[in-house]
Amino acid sequence: MDKPILEVKNLSVSFNAFSGTVRAVRNIDLELYKGETLVIVGESGSGKSVTTKAILGILPKNGRIDSGEIIYQGEDMAKYKEKDFYNIRGKRISLVFQDPLSALNPIMKIGKQITEALILSGKYDKKSAKKRAIELMEAVGIPKPELRYEQYPFQFSGGMRQRIVIAIALASDPEILICDEPTTALDVTIQSKILELINEMKAKNDLSIIFITHDLGVVANMADRICVMYAGKIVEFGTAEDIFYRPAHPYTWALLSSIPDLDTKEKLFSIPGAPPNMLAPPKGDAFAQRNKYALAIDFEEEPPFFKLSDTHYAATWLLHPDAPKVEMPEILAHRIERMKEANGIVD
Amino acid sequence: MLKYVFERVLAMLVTLAIIVTMGFMVIRLMPGSMFEGNPDMSPEQLAALEAKYHLDKPLLVQYGYFLRDAFTKGDWGTSLKLYPNVPVWEILQTRIPISMYINVYSLLISLPIGVILGIVAAIKKNTWVDYTVSFLVVICISVPSFVFATLMQYFFAFKMEAFPIIYEPTAVGMAKLYSLALPIMALALSPIARVARYLRAELAETINSDFMLLAKTKGLTERQATINHGIRNSLLPLMNIIVPMFTNILGGSLVIETIFAIPGMGGMMVNSINAPDYEVTLAILIFYSIISLSTILLVDISYGIIDPRIRMGGKK
Amino acid sequence: MLNVYTPDNEKYNNIDKSKFVLVQAEKEIHDAKFETKAVGFFKDAAMRFIRSKISVVALIGILFILFLAIFGPGMNEYGYNDQNLDYINLPPKIPVLAEYGIFDGGRVLQNRRVDGLDDTSRYPEGCILRVFNEREVKGVKMCDIEVDYYKYAGIPEDVVFWFGSDYLGRDLWTRMWRGARVSLFIAFISVFVNVFIGIVYGAVAGYYGGKTDMIMMRITEIINAMPQLVVVTLFILFFGTGILSIILALVVQNWIGTARMIRAQFYRFKGSEYVLASRTLGVKDRVLIFRHILPNSIGPIITRAMMAIPGAIFTESFLAYIGLGIRAPESSIGVLLSQGQKVMQQYPNQVLFPAIMISILMISFNMLSNGLRDAFDPTQRGA
Repeated sequence: MDKPILEVKNLSVSFNAFSGTVRAVRNIDLELYKGETLVIVGESGSGKSVTTKAILGILPKNGRIDSGEIIYQGEDMAKYKEKDFYNIRGKRISLVFQDPLSALNPIMKIGKQITEALILSGKYDKKSAKKRAIELMEAVGIPKPELRYEQYPFQFSGGMRQRIVIAIALASDPEILICDEPTTALDVTIQSKILELINEMKAKNDLSIIFITHDLGVVANMADRICVMYAGKIVEFGTAEDIFYRPAHPYTWALLSSIPDLDTKEKLFSIPGAPPNMLAPPKGDAFAQRNKYALAIDFEEEPPFFKLSDTHYAATWLLHPDAPKVEMPEILAHRIERMKEANGIVD
Repeated sequence: MLKYVFERVLAMLVTLAIIVTMGFMVIRLMPGSMFEGNPDMSPEQLAALEAKYHLDKPLLVQYGYFLRDAFTKGDWGTSLKLYPNVPVWEILQTRIPISMYINVYSLLISLPIGVILGIVAAIKKNTWVDYTVSFLVVICISVPSFVFATLMQYFFAFKMEAFPIIYEPTAVGMAKLYSLALPIMALALSPIARVARYLRAELAETINSDFMLLAKTKGLTERQATINHGIRNSLLPLMNIIVPMFTNILGGSLVIETIFAIPGMGGMMVNSINAPDYEVTLAILIFYSIISLSTILLVDISYGIIDPRIRMGGKK
Repeated sequence: MLNVYTPDNEKYNNIDKSKFVLVQAEKEIHDAKFETKAVGFFKDAAMRFIRSKISVVALIGILFILFLAIFGPGMNEYGYNDQNLDYINLPPKIPVLAEYGIFDGGRVLQNRRVDGLDDTSRYPEGCILRVFNEREVKGVKMCDIEVDYYKYAGIPEDVVFWFGSDYLGRDLWTRMWRGARVSLFIAFISVFVNVFIGIVYGAVAGYYGGKTDMIMMRITEIINAMPQLVVVTLFILFFGTGILSIILALVVQNWIGTARMIRAQFYRFKGSEYVLASRTLGVKDRVLIFRHILPNSIGPIITRAMMAIPGAIFTESFLAYIGLGIRAPESSIGVLLSQGQKVMQQYPNQVLFPAIMISILMISFNMLSNGLRDAFDPTQRGA
C-alpha cells in the first residue's frame, strides 16, 4: 500500500470542564490514503468530531492535545501553533459542517463568503475570485449562480446552504475534505443529494475524504474504509466490506443491528445503557457495561487490537485464543446475508 | 424597505401625539389657575388674561389652539414665572445647543471607548484583562451619573483643581470643551460600561458561533475572522442599546446640568418644575420626546439598512 | 503504533483462563441508574450561587445596609427631623474611633496666626488636633490647623453626631438610614408591583395568544416607546409628590419588561408536550398557567426583580434631585445627595456618605443579580 497522506498516531485530546477533565479522545490511530473515503462512525460524544477538530487545530479554548502526532506533509500538526495552520486550513484541508443553518454568516452576502478567503489569500483579485465563486456555485448545483451570488443566507434553503458550505470548502482546491456529519441537519430527501454531490466533487477534484457520521446506513455506498469509535477509542476498523460483512466487535454488531432496513421484521435493536462518563472512563473495555458478550477480563484490562486480516482489526477480548467462541447475533447474521445477496456477493 | 420606514414613522407620530396630548392634559388639569398667586391682579384682569390664552374655553378647544399655534406658528406658549412674557420657544432656543453639546459629546466618546473595551474583554475572555473590564463595568453601570458628577466635582475640580468647578459660560472652542469635560465624563461612564458589557457578551457568543469556525477553516487568520465576522456581526445588535443609552444620557444630563450650573435644558426643567412654570415644563417634555423618538426612528431605520434580513423583507 | 495482539506477547498470553467467561450473557442490561441524588431546582441554584464569592459578598453588603436601614435610625437619640440650630453643619464624630484619627470631629481651619493659637478663648484647650502648613506672610507666621470642631464650637461633651449634622442641625446618621429605608421601601414595593402586573399581563397574553396577545403587545409597545423621563414627570405632576405616587410612577413602564419575558416563556412552554398532555386530561386554564407553566419562570423572575431594584433606587434619587421626588423634611437617598451636593465644598461629608452608601447598594444589587442569573441559568454564565 502507498504511504498515507494524513496519519494520526496515538492521539489523545482532553477538555477542561466545569467538573473536571474530560478525556474525549484516547490514544487513537488513523490513516487516510490518497483518494479514499475514510468514514469514522460512532454515537454522540464518542470523540469523532473532536478528532477532526484536533486535526484542523480548531479545538475549543478549553480543549488540548495531550499526546500524539498528526503527520501531514511530513510535519507534525499536533505541534503547530495557530499561525502554522493558516497555510493548511481551507487551502490543504477543508471542513464541511454539520449545520449549514448556522455555519454561514447571516449578514454577509453568499458571494463574499465564498470569495473572502480567496481574496485574503492574495492569489485572486476581486474579479477572478468572483469568476471562481460562480464556477464553484455552478459545480455544486446552485441554479442561477450570478443572481444567487448577491443574496444572503436567509434566502437559501438548508440544502442549498450546505451546497454553499461545500463550495466554500472547495474554493481553494484542498487535498483533504473533512465532512462532519454534513447531512445530519438536512431532510432525508436532501441528504442523498448532498452525498451524491460530495462523491461527485471527490472524483472531480481528486479529494481524499474523512467522513464523520453516527449513521452507518448513510455512508454504506461511499465508504472505502470505516473506523468505529466508542468512548474516545477506535474499537474496530477495516474496509467497508470488512465492517459491513464481517464485523467482529460487539459494539459494531450493535451499531449494525440498529440500522433500520426494509426487510427487518424484528423489533429494531437499541443499545442498552448510556455511554460512559468521560470524566472518569471505566477501567478495561469501555463498552463492557453495555455489552451482552462482556467477559470478566473486559472489566479489568483494555483489549489490544486483534488482527483479522491485513485491513481489518478489532479491539475485543472475544478474539483472544482463550475466549469462548461467540457468534454475532442471529438477526444481524441474517441481515448480512440479505445484504450480500442484494449486492451479489458470494463468500 | 419603504413599507418598513413608513411603518416606523407612523408609529413614532402616533406615540408623539399620545405624549403631547397627555402632557397637555396633565399640565392644564393641574389644580389652580396659571395666574394664581398674583394679588395685584383684579378678577377682570385675570379674566382678560385667561381669555387671551384661551383658558376660558373647554379643554379640547384649548388643545386645538395649542396644537395650531405650536405647529403653524412655532408658538409653544409663554413663560409666566421664570421669564415672564417671553415665548417658551425663544427660551428653548438659547438652552438647547449647550445641552446637545454635552449629550452628543458623551455619546460620541462613549461609543468608541465602550466598543474597544468590549472587544478587548471578549477576546481576552476569562483573563485578568476581562476581569478588570468587567469590574469597572459593574461599577460604572451601578453608580448613578450624578454621584459620579458630585465625586468628580469634589475631587478633580475642588481638591485637585484640575478642572473648573462649574461651567464657564464665556469659554469657547477647546476652553469650552475643557470646562465641560467633567459633566461629559460623568455622563459618559455609564454608556461606556453599557456598550462594553453588551459588546463583550455579543462578541463572546459570536466568536463561538459556527460561522466563525467556518471562517477559520476556510483559511482566514484569527484576526481576519474576528474582524470580518465577529466584530462586524456583533456591532449590529449594538444598535439595540443606543436608544436606551441616549435617553439615559438625556435624563442624566438633567441633573448633571444642575450640578455644574450649565444653562441647558436640564436646569431649565428643574427650575420650571420648582417655579412652577408648567408651560415651559411641557415644552421641554415635548422636546425630549421628539429627541428620543427621533433617535428610536433613526436607529430602527439604520437597522433596516444594515440588516439584510429586514431590508429584503425577510423575517427578522 | 497500534497496540496489536501477538501470540508471543507475554502480557496478553498469561491471563487467567477463568477470566474468559461471558458474565453478562444471561443478565438483562438496563439503562444505568444515576447514582447521584437528584438535586432540587432551588438547592442547585443555591449551590451555584454560594460558589460565586462575589455574589455572596454582594448579598452580605445588601443585608448589612438593610439591617442599618431598619435599625440605624433607632440607634441614637435623634429623630430624623429633630432640628437644633445650635448644632448646625457639624463634622462626623464617633468617640470610639476618634483616637485613631478618623471620625474625630476634625475640621480644617485655614490661615490662622501662629501666635494666636494659645488664646484659649478662641481655641478652647485641647481642641487643636494638628498644626500644619506653617508659613510666613508679610512677616506674620501663619498656619492651617485642624480642630476638634465640637470642642472648638463649645458643644457639650455628651453631644456627638456620628455622621455629622446638616444645616438645620439634624443628625445625618439618622437621616441617612432613614433615607435608605425610604428609598429601599419605594424600590421593593414598586418592583413587587411591577413583577405582579408583569406576570399577570404576560401570562394572559402568552397563554391566550392570537388577537388578545396582539392587542396587549401593541399596548405595551406604545407605553414603552414613550421616554421614561417624560412619563414619570407627567405622572408626578398630575398625582403630586409623595411616596405612593413615586411608587406608581416607577410602575407605569417598568412592568413591561417582566410582561414580555413571561409572555415569551409562555410561548415556549405552552406548546410543549407536558402542557398538551395536561390539557387533554382536562386541566383548567388557571391551573395550567400557575402550576404548570409559570414555575418555569421563577428563576428569571427573581433575577429580573433583583435587577430592577437598583433601577428603582436610581429613579427615586433622580426624582428627588430634580425636585419631583421625596421632599424634605422626609429623608431619602436622593434628598440627602441633592442637599449635600449644595454644600459639598464646605461640608463634603454631607454628600460623601450618602454617595458611598448608594454606590455600595447599587453595585451589590447588580452583582447579586448577576450571580442569581448565573445560578438559575448556568447556560448564560459569563454572558
